[in-house]
Amino acid sequence: MRNARRARLVLTLLLLTALTLVTLDYRSGALSGIRKAASTVFGPIETVISDVVHPIGSWFSGLAHLGSYKSENEALHKKLAEVETQLRMTATEREEYAQEQQLLHLAGLAQFTTVAARVTAYGAAFGFESTVTIDRGTANGIAKNETVISGAGLVGRVVDVSRNTATVQLADDSQFTVGARLSTGTLAVGSLQGNGRGKDMSLQLLDNTVRLTKGQQLVSFASGPGGPFVPEVPIGTITAVAPATGQLAQTATVHPFVSFGSLDVVAVVVASPKSIQHDLLLPKSPTPAPTVTVTVTATPGVTPPPATSGSTSGVTPSTTPSSSASTTP
Amino acid sequence: MTAPRIALRIVVVVAALLLQVCVVNRMHLPLGTPDLLVIVVVAFALVGGSQRGAVLGFFAGLLADVVPPADHYAGELAFSYAVIGYVAGMLDAGEESTVPTIIAVVAAASFGVVLLYAGLGDLIGDARISAGVAGRAVAATVVYDVVLAPFVVPLVSAAARRFEPAGTR
Repeated sequence: MRNARRARLVLTLLLLTALTLVTLDYRSGALSGIRKAASTVFGPIETVISDVVHPIGSWFSGLAHLGSYKSENEALHKKLAEVETQLRMTATEREEYAQEQQLLHLAGLAQFTTVAARVTAYGAAFGFESTVTIDRGTANGIAKNETVISGAGLVGRVVDVSRNTATVQLADDSQFTVGARLSTGTLAVGSLQGNGRGKDMSLQLLDNTVRLTKGQQLVSFASGPGGPFVPEVPIGTITAVAPATGQLAQTATVHPFVSFGSLDVVAVVVASPKSIQHDLLLPKSPTPAPTVTVTVTATPGVTPPPATSGSTSGVTPSTTPSSSASTTP
Repeated sequence: MTAPRIALRIVVVVAALLLQVCVVNRMHLPLGTPDLLVIVVVAFALVGGSQRGAVLGFFAGLLADVVPPADHYAGELAFSYAVIGYVAGMLDAGEESTVPTIIAVVAAASFGVVLLYAGLGDLIGDARISAGVAGRAVAATVVYDVVLAPFVVPLVSAAARRFEPAGTR
């Protein structure tokens, strides 16, 4: 019994300590030193482990995702699965190379000064968080709040940095928010928010005069000098527009260009030019595949959808005039 | 606690944590992820009892709170794992746990730890916590952990008992 009482006392003390830590961290970030120390020690270890297990990990990842293709032709799928799992083991490096090329292309177009990095660890906290560790830090010129991109578009922002590693909050994290601009000529600006691991983002457009439509693309909007985001980085495509029900802001669902589950090579934008030409970095076709191989098919104008154009062209002259409410006996 | 016992616990906890962030989370399994740390904390608690379970849970959680790429307030996981370690430790019967016991305890612990973390996060206004996400997280963690537990728990317990002379507790 004395043991049990002592155990209870110990538990109470531990829980009070934990709550005190949470409060300290919440109030003042007083624990950033401890966090930095942990990053300095464990960050490089994660880099080493990731170098070793990386091919194994992506092989397993390939296996885990096979289930989602089930709706497709089964026989074909089985064959594909065999080939794919074989390929993945050998193609890891090739895949990485392709991502690098794409990244160089994007960063070059925009004249961003970037630091390339590899993803070494994924955060989860039971699935609530969507963060990664990258293998570059202050020693490579990376600072907190900088924009992280991949060849496909916006990846996230740096939330913590130590000497040799940094923590990146991915754009699908629920705490992630970025200013976004509609690509199609307008200057409509809204705010785009993550919705949790693997889910699409949601857009809130403050301007009610601009109509949102499916297929419109979004790019980041500079958040001012010293702010976290560089402008014009492609973010995603609108996949669904919520019906406007007298709300102040229009809302829509946005599918990001970047697939956050298969990040390998990313780049931190450490400097960007004063201004970037609008829509320069967006994929060229209206229906962008994530693997952009920029074949210049000249489709200059994005054809607007034929919504409500010929307003009620087939006007059916109804036999009963609508104002005939006078025939009541 | 002698030095070798403490060393064993540090090694196992650190290994589980690094395996979690570098390998398990990278797989992006459907719905959520298994949580290796819960299994490890339960395994040690079943051998060491409530008090040790709570202490181990606290430090394991604190480590998970600060090792990158964690991005929440330090102490949240420490709190959750300390409770789990304490409760699991109450079931320490001083003998080898059977597989059904292991599965039941790990399932309950996984369920509890996610709910505790979500509850605490919700209290301090963490935007990541929502009923939908929490539901999926609980389901995924419980299911995956139950699958892994029968392999991991006996292994860890056996290692722990090697350093634990019988009758000294």
